[in-house]
Formats: sequence, structure tokens, C-alpha cells
Amino acid sequence: MRRFVAGRLAQAVIVVFLVTTVTFLLVHLAPGDPISVALDKPGVTEAVRQQWRESFGLDRPLGEQYLRWVGNAARGELGWSFSFRRPVRDVIAEALPRTLLLVGLSVVFSFALGIVVAVLQTERPGGHRDRWLGRILLLLYSVPDFWLALVVLLLFAYRVPIFPPSGIVDPVLHDYMSFSGRLADRLRHLVLPVTTLTLLATAAISRHQRSALAEVMPSDWMRTAIAKGLSHRRAVRRHALRNALLPSITLAGLYLPALAAGALFVEKVYSWPGMGLLAANAIVARDYPLITASVLITSVAVAFGALLADVAVAAADPRVRVS
Amino acid sequence: MGSPAPFASIIGPRRTFSRLLHDSRTRIAIVVLLIVALSAVFAPLLAPYDPTAQLDIVRLPSQPPSFAHPMGTDPYSRDVLSRLLYGGRISLSVGLGAVLLAMSFGIAVGAAAGFIGGAVDAVLMRFVDAALSIPRLLVLIMVASLWGSLGLIPLTLLMAGTGWFAVSRLVRAETLALREREFIVAARALGASPTRILVRHVLPNVAAPALVAATLGIANVILLEAGLSYLGIGVRPPTASWGAIIQDGAERVSDLWWLTLFPGLAILVTVFACNALGDALRDAFDPRQLPRGTDATLAKEA
Amino acid sequence: MPCTSHRLSFRATRWIPAAIAGVLLFGCTEVKEQPQSAGPADVGGTMVVATPAEPGSILPGLYSTSIERQVTDLLFDRLAEIGDGLNSIGDKGFRPQLAARWEWAPDSLSIVFHLDPRARWHDGQPVRASDVRYSVNLIKDPSFGSPMASSTMNVDSVSVRDSLTAVAYFKRHTPEQFFDLVYQVSIVPEHILGNTPPAQLKTAEVARRGIGSGRFRLAKWEQGKSLTLVADTLNYRGRPKLDRIVYSLSLDFNSAVARLFSGDADFFEQLRPENMAKLATDTSLRALPYPSLQHTFLALNTIDPAHPGQPNPIFGDRVVRRALTMAVDRQGMLRNVFGAMAHPSYGPFPRYLGVADTTLPQLPYDTLKARALLDSAGWVPGPDGVRIRNGQRLAFGITTTVSSASRKQYSVLLQEAFKRIGAAATVDAVDFAGASTKLQGRSFETALVTFSPDPNVSGVRQAWSSAALGKDGLNYPSYVNPTVDALLDSATLAFDPARARAYSRRAFEIIIEDAPGIWLYEAPTVAGIHKRIHTTGIRADEYWAGMADWWIPASERTPRDRIGLRPAATP
Repeated sequence: MRRFVAGRLAQAVIVVFLVTTVTFLLVHLAPGDPISVALDKPGVTEAVRQQWRESFGLDRPLGEQYLRWVGNAARGELGWSFSFRRPVRDVIAEALPRTLLLVGLSVVFSFALGIVVAVLQTERPGGHRDRWLGRILLLLYSVPDFWLALVVLLLFAYRVPIFPPSGIVDPVLHDYMSFSGRLADRLRHLVLPVTTLTLLATAAISRHQRSALAEVMPSDWMRTAIAKGLSHRRAVRRHALRNALLPSITLAGLYLPALAAGALFVEKVYSWPGMGLLAANAIVARDYPLITASVLITSVAVAFGALLADVAVAAADPRVRVS
Repeated sequence: MGSPAPFASIIGPRRTFSRLLHDSRTRIAIVVLLIVALSAVFAPLLAPYDPTAQLDIVRLPSQPPSFAHPMGTDPYSRDVLSRLLYGGRISLSVGLGAVLLAMSFGIAVGAAAGFIGGAVDAVLMRFVDAALSIPRLLVLIMVASLWGSLGLIPLTLLMAGTGWFAVSRLVRAETLALREREFIVAARALGASPTRILVRHVLPNVAAPALVAATLGIANVILLEAGLSYLGIGVRPPTASWGAIIQDGAERVSDLWWLTLFPGLAILVTVFACNALGDALRDAFDPRQLPRGTDATLAKEA
Repeated sequence: MPCTSHRLSFRATRWIPAAIAGVLLFGCTEVKEQPQSAGPADVGGTMVVATPAEPGSILPGLYSTSIERQVTDLLFDRLAEIGDGLNSIGDKGFRPQLAARWEWAPDSLSIVFHLDPRARWHDGQPVRASDVRYSVNLIKDPSFGSPMASSTMNVDSVSVRDSLTAVAYFKRHTPEQFFDLVYQVSIVPEHILGNTPPAQLKTAEVARRGIGSGRFRLAKWEQGKSLTLVADTLNYRGRPKLDRIVYSLSLDFNSAVARLFSGDADFFEQLRPENMAKLATDTSLRALPYPSLQHTFLALNTIDPAHPGQPNPIFGDRVVRRALTMAVDRQGMLRNVFGAMAHPSYGPFPRYLGVADTTLPQLPYDTLKARALLDSAGWVPGPDGVRIRNGQRLAFGITTTVSSASRKQYSVLLQEAFKRIGAAATVDAVDFAGASTKLQGRSFETALVTFSPDPNVSGVRQAWSSAALGKDGLNYPSYVNPTVDALLDSATLAFDPARARAYSRRAFEIIIEDAPGIWLYEAPTVAGIHKRIHTTGIRADEYWAGMADWWIPASERTPRDRIGLRPAATP
């Protein structure tokens, strides 16, 4: 078991290293640099621009910049963000919890919802309920992430304005609210983004949960249990669920990159200031340190998530460790 | 369970095919896809206007749906229905092109890894695993926004370049499994070349999961292209793609609802049909016969 | 017709009979214009400004975005304030700020500034002449890296005669020497900043404290969330009418506008045409159009990007440039993109510039004539409809930024206009950094450029003379005309505003005829503001110039206004 974990851990590290190197190269090889952006003003001489470039270390050779960056990153020093004028570490430290909150809640809700739906479907496989739920899920699975977010926003923030259209808290009055007022404020702002992301995630995860459940259904021991007198429903709920849970977790782990992407669109439409939106805006602003750092953090999170999923499955199912 | 037996020898292609056609899902999906494809192919005949023609920039921009313009006009006074029809061309060509390229490359790499084995296999698969854990959208956004707006061909290549990993894993698994079977060992002993083995034995066996992957892959690419165009870094103006039409109305979503609704529905319907077809294919090919882990690797590669 | 309901103002008792009469007569009550001047009770209130950009640095001399400029101007003072007429020649119209009065030396090579003895920094220390000397030296210091350094080149040094008297010495007597010193340099505290080397001030903590002498002080700055300014009640120029200005940070334009319309914010600096319909129906907001110095044009690169030094095969020819200009329906495009909101651009200048002239002869919109011109220049339509001459296709890229919606819209409209006369244009929408690189490196073919110049004559020279051809200069089209050079030089050296205007006018005429750019629009600057806020002192270069005197009538207070001067519950 320990060897398995060590192996997977090494793999994750390699993945992260590869990702960040490729990102670093991509970003620096593309034309343009952020200093030109910030100082595109009349009267700004090349000397001034050069001075700014030097103070941010942008004029050194690529190799040296890379090594400096890797060394710093290993120590937790992620550089200075041009677009925010703050240390990258601070910017990410603020954005990451917001994304984790959003994605975390959505994963939990979608997992639960997905299992419920999958159980409802497989109680009578091929039946009316199964097929209709399947179609609705497929519909949600086929919808573009940003379009669903736009439609939900349109309906519940503009047409019928019950929820705020953007942000995490009321921008002015939040600080002056009572404790319960602040809590309610935060919850109100969470509803739409979490609902959208949950719907998207459920559609994906639930399909796999259902097929995992369905896979287990015709197996011999299930038939034996039913033959022995266990009702179909209870058979599903008690036995199949437990056995289908494991592949479900693996699949959830594999779905993480897609979840990160889905979160990006949801964050953009709802102006939720998390990692996805940060990365997208940083790319437009050519904020090199911020881009490389946010891709690093996102890849670490994804790799770590997948690693956890793999380890959890391996802990439960010894057969997996061998492969 | 041991390695899966080639499905063709158990079920037979004709039976599978008839099972497919009898599934109502498949029939509806095929009909829908045919409609989309035909309207894309015959767009020049069906579209009432040129999709890039700005009809009257002072009097006709941003008109809601009417008799003259059933889906309204966009802020440049272009007819949305015409753009929608031509947009189908973009979505389908990028989708098909990217997937075909990705499939070819993925099958080649997977088969090579599985056949050659050893260090080559290890390195390739480590690379593929790494690539699979990078959010595809992030890479696309990085390349597309850093290099400026992309033409159709670079966009297709980029989509293909980020979409071949899952297939290569599938093919590699299949190749590995086949390598040990007696008839393959016998064939090699008889001097059959790897290419021959590849074409005659490996390919038919990967055809099933590859086809499923391809169908779902097209759906994904259409969604990604729409997403990129929505972010403003997809196809170049004045090209009409479904995502680009949504982008044109993105600033005023609540006012210009027709710019969000119709292309969104078009994407939804097309992708839904592709996914339904992919599901039907997968069920028809009897899930027990597919290589273990197919479900996992076919997880929405976004 | 729906009635706009509105809280009655404090003079309701006088208006109720009139209102009833109005209702009876017209079926609806329109809100009358509110009283024009602030009463003594109308002090207080909170204004929330929705902004899509976080200020990075609030140190004068380091600002580069408009929000940074605004916050800096509210926290810090200059020696004197430019007059409403934006006169930049001599010192006419300038009003005292930190300098209570000043005297010119007979040879005009030095000016003695007498500081206001009541002026204090926000930490209580008095403002001294040594602070003036420090501020000027800081701007001129290359290691500080201020973009304003080149504007102060004519200022030689500042010496301290006593704690309240500073003498500024100039190298030459120029028409704008006073402007160069006073407009560009805000005075900063030496005792706070002096201990940090200038090179480190960019990122130093002391630079973020915002300790100035302005009528507002910095109360709180929450990165990524908000920046709060609070009234300096003991300020030497009098406390501002408002208690508090909160800059509420949104991530992008749309969420900032959403804050305005949902009531979370009171002010948003620049609405777009698509917001105007919603603004008209919103009963608590009004539109506040204000003058600005922005103008946008399509720059045509007259040199060949592939072979610098050689004329561009397409745009090197004046005839082609004029033909392309005539193909563009500037008025139509303006209506399409901005509705009735924007002004057309009549040349290489914003209309509110002192020397501007919007009556100069323009090239007409005439596609027939455009085609005829191209035919006569030898550009013949090829098999695909695109014109060719000597193997060179009339095809080029329009470089624009992804982020600007109106520029993107214009590029698509221009693409179609050019197509109609046989020119094939592609839209190259790149990110901001990529566009800047292309402009500075002169590697673009055509590009949509927006200038927001300083309110002085030198600004024009910085964009259109041969002195501005290099990488540092703003002459993106690489336009060269010796006559124009001579005229612009004369304009900047003229001490008489009328003569400066005459020289500039003639230069503009020639530039318009040579068409190195297609003058498109002056972006509408319309702010959305809550009706309860009364504005004053709006200037074309800085609409916030009088913000310290904006006020809210006591009777129209909202919960936000009643926060008063108490600090926040959560630090």
C-alpha cells in the first residue's frame, strides 16, 4: 500500500512540474510583456520602462528567470503581481478559498444529488423514471457552462431579482451589518453560483454513478441476494450502492479538471473573484508571475484531488493497487 | 475478468447495428444531427442573407425577431438566422476536423506505446497522464489569448492537439491486452508485420471505444469552441460561429436575449444529439466488453 | 404613462400644490431640478464609486490608470490648480492651492512660491518648502521611474528660502513652464517618504499610506475589495461636503455597472451606450455627461513593418489613405456604436483641447470617389474582388484590443466598409500587452488608437511631429511632414494663446489632408450617478476636480449616508 501511495505521489509531483514548466514557457514565448501595458503613456521614455523591467527582473535570460521562479516557488515565494501590485501569494491566498468554497459546496451537493438520482434511476432500470431522469441529465450535460450560468443569471437576478447578480458580499454595507446580517448576505450571494455549478457537476457525475450502479446490477451476487428474497429496491440501496461508490470516487477525481474549467465560466458570469477568474484576467493582463502561479496552484489542487481519489479507492479495493 | 475478447467475434457487427437502430435514442439523435449537418451544408441556399453583410448600421442593428428577421439582428445589423446557419458549418467542421486528427494521432501513439512497450511506453504514458490532469480549457485559453485571435485551422489544430490523450490511453490498453493473446503471438511468429497486426486486429477492437470517444469528443469540441468564442478568443470576426453570436450579445444579455437564446439552443441540441448517440453506441457495444476503465477515460475531457 | 414616484424633497411643502396641479394637468409629476447650492446642513453623506479597476499605487508620480489619478488627486495637493478654461500658457487662470501666492522673477527663469501656513499633512505635520523640493526631486529622479519625469525636464531645481517659501528655477523661459511644474507635480511628505530609497517606493508600505494634504484622507484600503476615503475635517481649505467616498472594486465593467443599477453604488465613471436605456428607466439614477480629452482614430502605418525605413506598400501613398478615409461612414458608425451619445472626431485632437478647431474641412464620405481614387492610383480589382497593384494585395490587419467593446465593434464595421471598396481587412484582436507591443514596435498595419492627452499644446507635438517617431514617441503612423513640424514647434513656443491656436490650426489642416489616420470618435463620457448627489467643478481633464465639493441634501440621506464618520465595525 505504501509503495502504491509513494508511486502515485511521485507521479503527481512530476505532473505538477511538467505543467508549470510548459506554462512558464508558453507565457514567456508569447509576444508582448506587461510593462508596455502599464506604461503606455505619453512622455514615458524607454529608460523608464527599462527601469521598471529591471526592478521586476524581466530583462534576465529566460533560463535564469525560470530557475529563480522555481527556487522561489519551492519556498512559497511566488513573486509580485503587476496587475494587482501585490505579492502573488496574497492575491492567490485570497482567491483560492473563494473557489474552494464554491467548488467544495458544489461537489458535495452534486455528489449527494447524483447518488440520489442514480438510485432513483436504477430502482427500475429502463423504466419511465429512469429514462426521463436520464434525458434531463443528458440535457444538463450538453448545455454550455457559460450559457446555463447566463440563463440562470438572467432569470433569477434580472427578470425576477431575488438574488444578487455578482460578488460575494454587499460591497458597501457588509462591514456595517450585524453578524447574522453578514451571514445572510454571504449566503444570498452564494446561491446562484453554487446552484449553477452543482447542476453542471451533477450531470457529469451522475451519469457515471448510474452506469456504475447498472454495471453492478446484473452481477451474480446481486441476483442471488434478490433470489434470496431481498426486495429490488433494498438490494440497490444497500449492496449495489456500496460497491458502486468506489468507481464513483475515482471518476469524481478524474472529473476535477473539468470542474476547474466549469468553475471558470461560472466565476466569470457571476464575477466570483476566485482562481478561475483570476487566471483568465491574469492571462489578458500578461501578468506572468500570477499566471504561472495560478496554473501551478490549480494543477496541484487537481493532481492532489485525483491522488486522494486513487488512494481512497486503493485503500478499499486491493485489486487496484496491482495495476 | 481477464482481457476482453474482441467483440466482433462474440456479437457480430450486424446484430450490433440493428440493436443500435432500434434504439429510439439513436434514431432521434441521427435525425437531429442530419438536420444540423444538412442545414450547414446547404446554408448558402437556406440563409436569407449573407452572414457577414451589415445591412443598415444605423436603422437595423439589434432588432428583435420579426418577419423580416426571424431571429433578429445583431449589433452590426447582420441577420442572426443566416449567421446561425453558417455557424453550424464552423461548429461541425472544427468538431469533426479536430476529432479526426485527435483520433488518428491518439490511436497511433497508443498503439505505438502498447506495442513497443518498455521505456517508450512508460515515458509516453506518464506524459499522457500529466496532460490528462491539466484542465484543457486553461491551456486553450492560454494559447488562444497569448497568441491573439486564431484562424479556423490553427483553432482546429489546437483542439486536436489537446484532445488525443484519452484515446491514446484506451488504444494502449487494448494493444497491451492483445499483445499477449495466442493468435497474435502466433501471427508474429509467422512473420506478420506489426502494421498488419495493428490494422487487422488492434484497430477493429479499438473501433468500438474509439467511436464512442469520437462522438463524445465532437460534442466536447463544440462546447469548447463556443466557450472560447464567448470569451472573445475563439474564431476571428466576421466569422459566424455559435459562440461568437452569443459573444456579440454578451454585454447586453437581458436586452438582446435573442442573441443568447437561439445560438445557445443550437449548441444544446447538437451537443445533446452527439452525446445521446455516443451513449447509445456505448450501450450497443455492451459495456462488459469494453476495456476496463473506458468509462473513466471518457469522463468529460474539458 | 407610468408615474415616476420619488421621495419628496425638503421643500415639498411649497411644491405639493404645484405637484397636485401638475398631476391633474399632465397625469404625471416630473422631478424638478433640485436646489443649486448646499445649505449648512447639507454636509455629510457617503458616495460609493463602482470601479472595475483596483488602484495599484496611490503615490503621486507613479499613477498610470485613471482611478489611481483620481484617488491621488483627492489625497494630495498641487501648488496651484489649473483654471476651468484649461489654459496652459503662463499662469493665467491658475488658482492657489498649496501655494497661497507666487511671484515671477523679472527674467521669468524662477518663481517664488509662498505656501499656505495653514496647510497640514494628514498626520498633523505642517507642509514645508522642503517638501516641495523633495517632491520635485523625486519626480525627476530616474530611479523613481515616474512617467512624469520627462514633463518636468525644464525645471532645474527647487531651493528653500524658509520653511514656507520655495523657489523654483527653470532652465528656459517657455510658455508652459508654469504648467509643467505645477500640473505634473503633486506635493508629497518628505518626512514620511524620505527615508526610503526612491527605487523602492513603488512597492514600499509607506507609499500605500496615502498621507497627503488633500481634503480627503485614506481611511481603509482592502485589497481587491474597496478603498475608503474619509473627510479631512480640519483641512486648511475647508472640509469636503461628503463624509466618505468608497471605491468599491468590481472585477470588470459589467459587474461594476450591475452594482450601480442594483443600488450598491452611487457613481460609475463611464457608461456604455447599451446602458443608457436602462438608465432612463431607473428612477434613482441620472446620466451625467462630462467633457473629456479622449479621442480615437485608426492609425495607418506609413512605413513598412517588414522593412523599417521604407514606405508602406499600401499606406505610404497619400491617395490610398484618403480613399480609405472616404470609404468610412463615420457618422453612421458613430450612431451604430454610441447612439446619440458620442461626438465625432474632427482631427488629431479632442474638442476640449484649448487649441482645437472642429470646423476644419473634412474628407467626405463618398464610396464612389474612394473607388475612383483607388482606380486612378493603379489598384485594380482582382479575381476575388480584392484590389491588387504590382502583386501587392490591398489586404491588411486592424489591430485592436480584446477588452474594448466599442473598439471591437468599430473594427468589424470598418472591415465591412473597406470590403465594399475592394480592400480586405482582418481583425486582429489581441490582448492589451500584445497591442502595445505592436504599436511601440511599429509592427502593425492599421490600429485603433485612443489618445487621452494632457491639456496642453505639447501633447499634440508628442503625437504628430517627427520628434516622436522613435519607440518612446507616440507618432504611431510614423507621419513625417516638415511643415507640420515647424508649425507645431512654433505653436509650443508661442506665448500668445491666439498665435498658438493659429499655428496649431494650420498644422491640423495639413494633417487632416494627409490622412495618416481616420478620425473616428470621441468616446462619450457619461457617468451614472445617484440623483441625490449634486456635482460641481467638472473639468475636461479631470471630472473629479471638484469632487470635494459634491454634496447630498440633508433630506435625501440614505442609510449609507448616515454611517457618518464612525469607523467600520470590522477593521
